Amino acid sequence: MSFKISLFPFALLLLGISFLLNLSMGSIWIPPVELVEGLVSGNWAKNSWEQIILHYRLPKALVAILAGIGLSVSGLQMQTFFRNPLAGPYVLGISSGAGLGVALLMLAGAAFGVSLTGLNSWAIAGAGIVGAGSLLVLVSLIAWHVKDSMTLLIVGLMVGSGVAAVVAVLSFFSGAEALKLFTVWSMGSLGALTWSQVSILCLLILIGTIPIIGSIKSYNALLLGETYARSMGIHTSRLRWWMIGSTGILAGGITAFCGPIAFLGIAVPHLARMAWKSADHRVLFPGSAIFGASLLLICDSFSHFPGWASSLPINAVTSLIGAPLVISLILRKNLSKDF
Amino acid sequence: MANQHITLEGIGLSLGYSQLGKRKELLHDLSFQLYSGELTCLLGPNGVGKSTLIKAILGNLKPWEGKLILGEQELQTFPLEERAKRIAVVLSEPSYPSNLTVGQLVALGRTPYTNWGGKLSKEDRKWVEQALSDTRLTEMQDERLGELSDGQRQKAMIARALAQDGSVIVLDEPTAHLDLVNRFEIMTLLREISHIKQKAVLVVTHDLDIALETADRFWLMNCGNPLYMGRPEDILLSGKIQDLFPGEKYRFELERGKVELWQVPDNLPINGPAVGVYWVKKALYKAGIKELSEEIVIEPDFRLTYKEKTVASIEELIQLIQAAKN
Repeated sequence: MSFKISLFPFALLLLGISFLLNLSMGSIWIPPVELVEGLVSGNWAKNSWEQIILHYRLPKALVAILAGIGLSVSGLQMQTFFRNPLAGPYVLGISSGAGLGVALLMLAGAAFGVSLTGLNSWAIAGAGIVGAGSLLVLVSLIAWHVKDSMTLLIVGLMVGSGVAAVVAVLSFFSGAEALKLFTVWSMGSLGALTWSQVSILCLLILIGTIPIIGSIKSYNALLLGETYARSMGIHTSRLRWWMIGSTGILAGGITAFCGPIAFLGIAVPHLARMAWKSADHRVLFPGSAIFGASLLLICDSFSHFPGWASSLPINAVTSLIGAPLVISLILRKNLSKDF
Repeated sequence: MANQHITLEGIGLSLGYSQLGKRKELLHDLSFQLYSGELTCLLGPNGVGKSTLIKAILGNLKPWEGKLILGEQELQTFPLEERAKRIAVVLSEPSYPSNLTVGQLVALGRTPYTNWGGKLSKEDRKWVEQALSDTRLTEMQDERLGELSDGQRQKAMIARALAQDGSVIVLDEPTAHLDLVNRFEIMTLLREISHIKQKAVLVVTHDLDIALETADRFWLMNCGNPLYMGRPEDILLSGKIQDLFPGEKYRFELERGKVELWQVPDNLPINGPAVGVYWVKKALYKAGIKELSEEIVIEPDFRLTYKEKTVASIEELIQLIQAAKN
């Protein structure tokens, strides 16, 4: 027990360091010491630094933290619920679902004469959440009877490519302006959000986390499987809807605002399990949240390396880091036993 | 076992599934009583509907007709949380999270009693410790499930069911993946639990010989027949046990208390102590030797004489007989 608790200060320290590093890095390097001084006292060594930090890097870092938390805890919920170590919002096609929702709004909406400038962030978030939620319901119905990792992955893959095809058809028939808007969105970006959008995202993450807090005990009981959980008084069918609601809001909202972000949701819960050597969700949920936030901050720092004029799309960076991680997880011989 | 009483009773149950509007009835007009303070073993061939009955007893399958009475009240009227405080279950499937420690697993049994976050009260901890010591797992409570043997893990699952503090514990083939010694260990543990803790323990099992040694009561299920209840020895002596083995091929040997292949030859001339004669006959039958031209004599220090040659093992005896034949 003491080991589990004592690991949290280190994890939080990691989060703090990643946060400062993330704020410091970019096309202009701002030393962390002067950064902290500026943030605390309000006296910035250079006027431009204040502008960069307050209007660009700080909201971006907060979005990275929020998205990291949201995607990781969605992944953890889905892995426990499906009792499948390879479940996650991206792998199961949930992010594609959010993408479809946004595509329908942006591309089809443009075709029906909805003005693109009139698209406010609530509409985008709503479309993403509805898209993610409906796809999650679809995959849940299929995955309900599928215990096998391989089958579930194939189903997720198929649903994902089916959705991608629909998006491709939509793109084919849509105008250049709408298409460009959607393409930029689909590459993923943490930095495109204004302060008001950040607060909307923050609200969504808060709403999406509430069902988790109420279900921690149920997730622990679900570790033994559905029959055991029911025999211990857990309403598994009710929990399914809470899980769909929570992951729909979290993964859907994040994908709507930041574009698809790959691999974080599947990889981070495994990292937390390895670090804390625990299956207890009272440890795993906060642990995954901290790791997820730190990892996304680090990935974002890499995408804004000092000296580079432009930044890499965040989805590419998380894939570059996440894909080898997932492959190494699969290659470990007892992944499913470790789960 | 002075104050036995009926903990769970089934009255005229009809159970089955409906698929695409078609109703398929598996069990018809089933009645039973499950007593506290007893170990009851449910025996029957595969596909006879044992799992369906277990589902109904766990409350996961609503009977089409008839009633299940738990204590004084109908089972279906209990909310899920209340049912969990009365009936616990152990399954045979060996899936488990390897990161969980034994102590944490047993603590999960307190789920119906804890608050929303699953925090254990002093009372809960007492129950967990008691369940661990009842199953003699106290020393192992910090070990992870992935590091345990299958037998120890199943014991931990039983401890979890104990911590749940129900009056009924249902086990669906709990020993299916275990070796012989562990099968006995688990069943004697269950017997102990039912007697000392005055719980009604229902075990689905295919191990007839172990069940005979440990069970207080048998439930026999057979295709088309109603559920038959009774003391194992009654079922044995009345010949009812033979219902488990349809056809002529297998037969329950009363004297030995186990199942045997029907045709063990009795025309082989073998002389010696009864136990020796029995096993030598069996070995010769399995080796395909159906007749002997001379008598085999078994001497007390296990020396086998055939055609005036003496050997010290059945292996050599078989070689001798086969050589003599050619």
